[in-house]
Amino acid sequence: MLAVDHYRMKADNHQHGIIFSFNGFISESILFALGDALKKKLSMEETDLRTMKRVFSVFVEQAQNIIRYSAETLAKDDQEINRLSSGLLTVGSEGGRFFVVCGNVMAREKAHPLQERLEKIQKLDAAGIKAYYMEHMKAPVDASAKGANLGLIEIARRSSEPIQFDFLELDASTTFYCMKAFI
Amino acid sequence: MENKFIAAGERSPEVDFRYDQNHLALRGEAYPEDAAAFFGPLLKDLSAYCETVKGQELLMAFQLVYFNTSSAKALMNMIQILEAAASSGTKVAIRWLFMEDDDVIREFGEDFSMELEHARFQLVQI
Repeated sequence: MLAVDHYRMKADNHQHGIIFSFNGFISESILFALGDALKKKLSMEETDLRTMKRVFSVFVEQAQNIIRYSAETLAKDDQEINRLSSGLLTVGSEGGRFFVVCGNVMAREKAHPLQERLEKIQKLDAAGIKAYYMEHMKAPVDASAKGANLGLIEIARRSSEPIQFDFLELDASTTFYCMKAFI
Repeated sequence: MENKFIAAGERSPEVDFRYDQNHLALRGEAYPEDAAAFFGPLLKDLSAYCETVKGQELLMAFQLVYFNTSSAKALMNMIQILEAAASSGTKVAIRWLFMEDDDVIREFGEDFSMELEHARFQLVQI
């Protein structure tokens, strides 16, 4: 059964065009290693530079969002650099286009503001996304922010169609969030 | 101010700030684990240096192939510091280098140039 179960999982991933799918605790060093493998894989397949850069950028921003915002997270001595956070990160291709999916558990009370922000971004056209990006890039750095607050807009900017997202309430305090971007 | 050289890392750019020649350059990829820790000291030094070169010529070259959003924000701060220096009399020239076909980096250059009124900006295809 061991082989049957795991082969089924592998075959299922293959059937869905998945290049890799990571599920578990991710750190900045895992991000780097996965990103490096992704770049090599795309480059061996002679993916054009424009597409490669977009896939890589969406991958990095989604991975960093998991590391920074997953509710299932561990940090040693409050050092952000050593943070480990649990999530799901998948890169694949479907119908001739690449996609990147991320998912993680988050605090339920933070889900609604995130949903509003994603809905706002989802409705913007290319010019609107660019303007929104510039506005955030120029905004003063928020000392409490873990990042530039630009990740979601960057993902939308590099996508070839509006981003897809979904939320699943798990219990009174947690929600599972996921997002899929086609490049 | 003492020149600053940091060799490129796996995910951080080469920093080649030759303060004695008024020639500064950033080259490579930028998605450091901690963008604030990497860029913070550079921004601080750049601000202090800009105070010392009023009226002089200053060239800053950006030759980046990829940067994440945390780094983009730091680059915007750098551009803003350079523009402030230009507005108070330093002859600032910014060269933004991009590879042929790299529309992402080229567009970032165009975006950053919109912030400039006093500094000279040159988009250079390599």
